[in-house]
Amino acid sequence: MAISGLVTHDGGVTVFDRNPRLRWAVPATLVALIVGGTLVGSVAASADSGLPPLTAQELLVQAQAPNATSVSGTVEATADLGLPELPMSSSRGANPTAMLSGTNTARVWSDGAGGSRVALLADADEYDIVRNGQDVWAYSNADRTVEHYVLPDRDAPTDIPANVSLPSTPQEAATQALAAIDSSTAVTTSGVDRVAGRDVYELILTPKPSDTLVAKVVIAMDGATFVPLRVQVYSTQMQEPAFEIGFTSVDFGAVDPALFAFTPPAGATVTEHPAGSMTKPTTDAPNGPKPTVVGTGWSTVAIMTVPADALAGTDSAPASDSGAQAASMLQALPTTSGAWGSGKVLEGTLFTAILTDDGRLAIGAVSPTTLGAALAAS
Amino acid sequence: MSAANASLRLLGSEMHLIVGRRRNQAGILVLAAVPILIAVALKYSSPGHGRGTGFIASATSNGIFVALSALTIELALFLPLAVAVLSGDAIAGEANTGTLRYLLTVPVQRTRLLVIKYISLVIGALIGVVVVTVAGIIAGGIFFGLGPVTLLSGDQITLVAALGRVALAVLYITACLAGLAAIGLFVSTLTEQPIAAMITVTIISTAMWILDGISQLDWIHPWLPVHYWPSFADLFRNPMFFDSMRQGLLVTLGYIAVFATLAWARFAQKDITS
Repeated sequence: MAISGLVTHDGGVTVFDRNPRLRWAVPATLVALIVGGTLVGSVAASADSGLPPLTAQELLVQAQAPNATSVSGTVEATADLGLPELPMSSSRGANPTAMLSGTNTARVWSDGAGGSRVALLADADEYDIVRNGQDVWAYSNADRTVEHYVLPDRDAPTDIPANVSLPSTPQEAATQALAAIDSSTAVTTSGVDRVAGRDVYELILTPKPSDTLVAKVVIAMDGATFVPLRVQVYSTQMQEPAFEIGFTSVDFGAVDPALFAFTPPAGATVTEHPAGSMTKPTTDAPNGPKPTVVGTGWSTVAIMTVPADALAGTDSAPASDSGAQAASMLQALPTTSGAWGSGKVLEGTLFTAILTDDGRLAIGAVSPTTLGAALAAS
Repeated sequence: MSAANASLRLLGSEMHLIVGRRRNQAGILVLAAVPILIAVALKYSSPGHGRGTGFIASATSNGIFVALSALTIELALFLPLAVAVLSGDAIAGEANTGTLRYLLTVPVQRTRLLVIKYISLVIGALIGVVVVTVAGIIAGGIFFGLGPVTLLSGDQITLVAALGRVALAVLYITACLAGLAAIGLFVSTLTEQPIAAMITVTIISTAMWILDGISQLDWIHPWLPVHYWPSFADLFRNPMFFDSMRQGLLVTLGYIAVFATLAWARFAQKDITS
């Protein structure tokens, strides 16, 4: 040991032997070095890079054809959607709904040609979505269940299970955000940043209407490969991003194909969803009526009628624990009223939802006032 | 090198002391009892209680997971308590009974004595972790059998490969406990009351667990060594995931460096009065 070498060679007298009080300087220096080193490290990590400047237009073109096929790495997602704590019994362990709040970590692998794997991590638990060509497997370790989907023949790369509502990879998130670009959005770039230890370009999408809750969407793209490495969605309600998903480490090397060969483990319950069973999701309106859409672009508001039996549980004795929890959660929401009537309002950081007393549900990325106006107009 | 021989002899007698103490032998039995309790409870509980989360959920399918569940559970209190007891005995205990003075009359420098005490603490921690693991594998094997292991990712590996990963987990957890042992060594130099040292170390590890459980304090979590202790579970993903464990080892190394040198600084000035 270095310390014993300093002071214990036989007969030798060191400064620490002559003045033992000096020894306290050693741990004090170590603490200073560790704390100082951590701080300096985080400052150095945000230093500017030497990437040539690119316009938004050039960046968008590059983004359409990334220079890398294989991508793997660790992804961290942070969501602060302003949702009330969901005491759902189904949300234990690792599962896609857990991505809706707090900070979550996932590992992703993609070979860019039909093979991909996303592993959502939790303490001693994992939820895996594996795609191998037409086969998609979703494995829940906590429930020991496997969902097997067979994709239709036409290529639908991001058509993974319908219950995965938030994007699981930065690529997916960027595709979704880019699709939302139209005349309602100002697209700009802002210098460069560092994500996962790599220099990135930042593409900034700023909504033009002033009544949306989305302040801006920032997409960070790798300076060399133009693969999206981070997506941040800012709310007008807060400084920090309301939703952020990005790589904490990334590798563009080839991915071991064995990772995409999934075999359901012994003892797991396998549910088969053959090709063709995966039609367009119609879960929004189980009883048929299509939601009414008011407004366009970022200010779009969807209004739908909630079936009376779905609300029955909120008044009379609910059938299940989760029903009771949902009912009590709904009761705890603040009441609001306007020209459209009155109801319960849920104000998130990126969206607002109003459930009126007469059973209409309005939802949009707008303020309660705008939402009320849309309700009154419909 | 006679000095090296003397050190080895000292370490040998130190280990002899640790293993020979009745209290420590009883502690080993307690550590081994937990996985057996888990296995019995899972075997005879009605299946209606749900599968639970984490390794416990998989315990009935493979005995290996009984060992991993026991390690997870004992990391919260029993294993830190074992380290606390050993470190309380290390310096404070010997100062209390007067044997520390005899140790220092033989020609051995205080620093060397301290290093040997620390190594013996780490070996003691390793013994504790191995006892829990082996008892868990045996109890789990008897009640639920052993076979190919389904990883958290849903992929299966052979029993031999899984045992290799268990061995890595044992080493990682021991390294984590070595961080606590460094804190314990320092605390032990501060007092001549072994019980006071044991309680202090237990309070420190428990307080860290409590802080780690408060999500509002998440800025402090990366600095808490216990935050990374359960990360040994990442060894049972496919492929193994090292990000969190690497960070855990770095933080632990920082704690060892600071508290071992604190103990060294303190021990040099400590008056051995009795």
